[in-house]
Amino acid sequence: MSNFFIYLGMGLFSLVFLCLYRGVFGPGVLNRIAAISAIGTKTLVILLLMGFIYDRVEMFIDISMVYALLNFIGTITAAKYLEIKREV
Amino acid sequence: MIRLPVICYSFLVARYSNEYQETSNEQPATSNETMTQVTDDIIIRTVARILIPFIQLYALYVIMHGHHSPGGGFQGGVILGASFILYLITHGLEEAKIRMSEVKAGLFSSFGLLIYSGIGLLCLILGSNYLDYGKLSAILRVIPAQARSLGILGVEIGVGIAVMAVMFSIFFDISTGGILPEDEEGGQEGR
Amino acid sequence: MEVTVLIQTADKAFEILEKAREEARELLYSAAKLTSEAKSLAEKRETRAFLSGAQQSRVALRNFAITFLILFGFWILLSGRFDYFHLALGVICSLLVAYLSYDLLFFNVRLGDFRIRARRFFQSAPWFLGQIFSANLHVAYLALSPKMPIDPQILRFKTKLESDISWVAMANSITLTPGTITMDIREGEFFVHALDKKVAYDLNTGEMEDKIAHVLMEADHVYIQDVLDVSRIFGALK
Repeated sequence: MSNFFIYLGMGLFSLVFLCLYRGVFGPGVLNRIAAISAIGTKTLVILLLMGFIYDRVEMFIDISMVYALLNFIGTITAAKYLEIKREV
Repeated sequence: MIRLPVICYSFLVARYSNEYQETSNEQPATSNETMTQVTDDIIIRTVARILIPFIQLYALYVIMHGHHSPGGGFQGGVILGASFILYLITHGLEEAKIRMSEVKAGLFSSFGLLIYSGIGLLCLILGSNYLDYGKLSAILRVIPAQARSLGILGVEIGVGIAVMAVMFSIFFDISTGGILPEDEEGGQEGR
Repeated sequence: MEVTVLIQTADKAFEILEKAREEARELLYSAAKLTSEAKSLAEKRETRAFLSGAQQSRVALRNFAITFLILFGFWILLSGRFDYFHLALGVICSLLVAYLSYDLLFFNVRLGDFRIRARRFFQSAPWFLGQIFSANLHVAYLALSPKMPIDPQILRFKTKLESDISWVAMANSITLTPGTITMDIREGEFFVHALDKKVAYDLNTGEMEDKIAHVLMEADHVYIQDVLDVSRIFGALK
């Protein structure tokens, strides 16, 4: 079972690089924000998989919740900032 | 050794302040909206309203369980400050001031530092090192191990309060540019 | 000749005087009526303010208690430690957060029918999950097919839902379904971005709206209001 989680995590990790490409080279700020938010959700799942691998889910759930919260608030703040500036 | 970071910092500050001035000279602000205004988006407002109590409780959980699970004073304080920042950017300055204003944030940051240094100095007064909680067992009337646990808890509460207040006031200063609306009006009336 | 003219003018003068007197009387009457109405209105407003003040404090207390219970349940779920020290910490923290934000969790919600709502939610949850699953398959087909037969469009429709909490539930379930994203809500008007025609058609049938109105009991509210109107008209006819 642990092998299964490791391979799943590796697959998600390779998908993170696709999002990272969009975040680095993506045209415009909106693409970058969406890419970073997607990276955040993938990191959350990878953290939970790490918890399963190391048999300490209750610890990694705390970390992943913090990550999700800060990702949410950061995305909202960036969106509001762009709404005010009106230049993308 | 300390000169290098200072030089880097001053260089960065000079560079970014120049850039900021250049851009502000070229393009004056297009709208009067600021970060601290009420959003007209009903989804964001409602979701933030429902989420904020749970975020705050989660922050307190991270602070209180810092000695059993990951996290602690700093992380919990960051989450608590983020909840207030979320309230500020979704519900506007007027409503956010009822819950947390800049004056309150300054008071809370000093209060948190007072708790932290007070516990440390208490250990010093009781005859051991600074922040050596073992001696607190004389006051709390428990065994030294438990006294250490309680002392760390108190220090983390202090750190959490201070971090929350400082994060909030940094965001407040950046988003309002250090100038509050009523300050401007009062200043104009004064002149 | 002159006498008749004099008499006529005197008559006219008397008529004008009579009219003026009547007008003055009416004015006096209306003034008296207005003052009495204003006084009664002020009294009513005072009593209403008094009553609503009492009600508001009671509602605030109830909200505080329910928020505290929900938050304490959340704490136990998070903590998982049942010794007295941690439970006492949980009580203190929940009280603190409930004091800080007791008016945030229940802002515009009717509470009395919570059990029916929860039952309906669990009854209609499989439908939502099935909808999300089928839309997932459809979007995966769109993304993986080499021709990429997408047809992006922005739908704009007025909803029959009334309260903001049901608007938000509707918007979130639209966003949760792959292929459609709620962009904005402006006074009950939804702006939805749809990826292709089939997804847009599924949204336009209004089935999701009906389900949400059923879960959040919007339709029952409208129904009761209709019955009240009909009964009033019937009474008037009788």
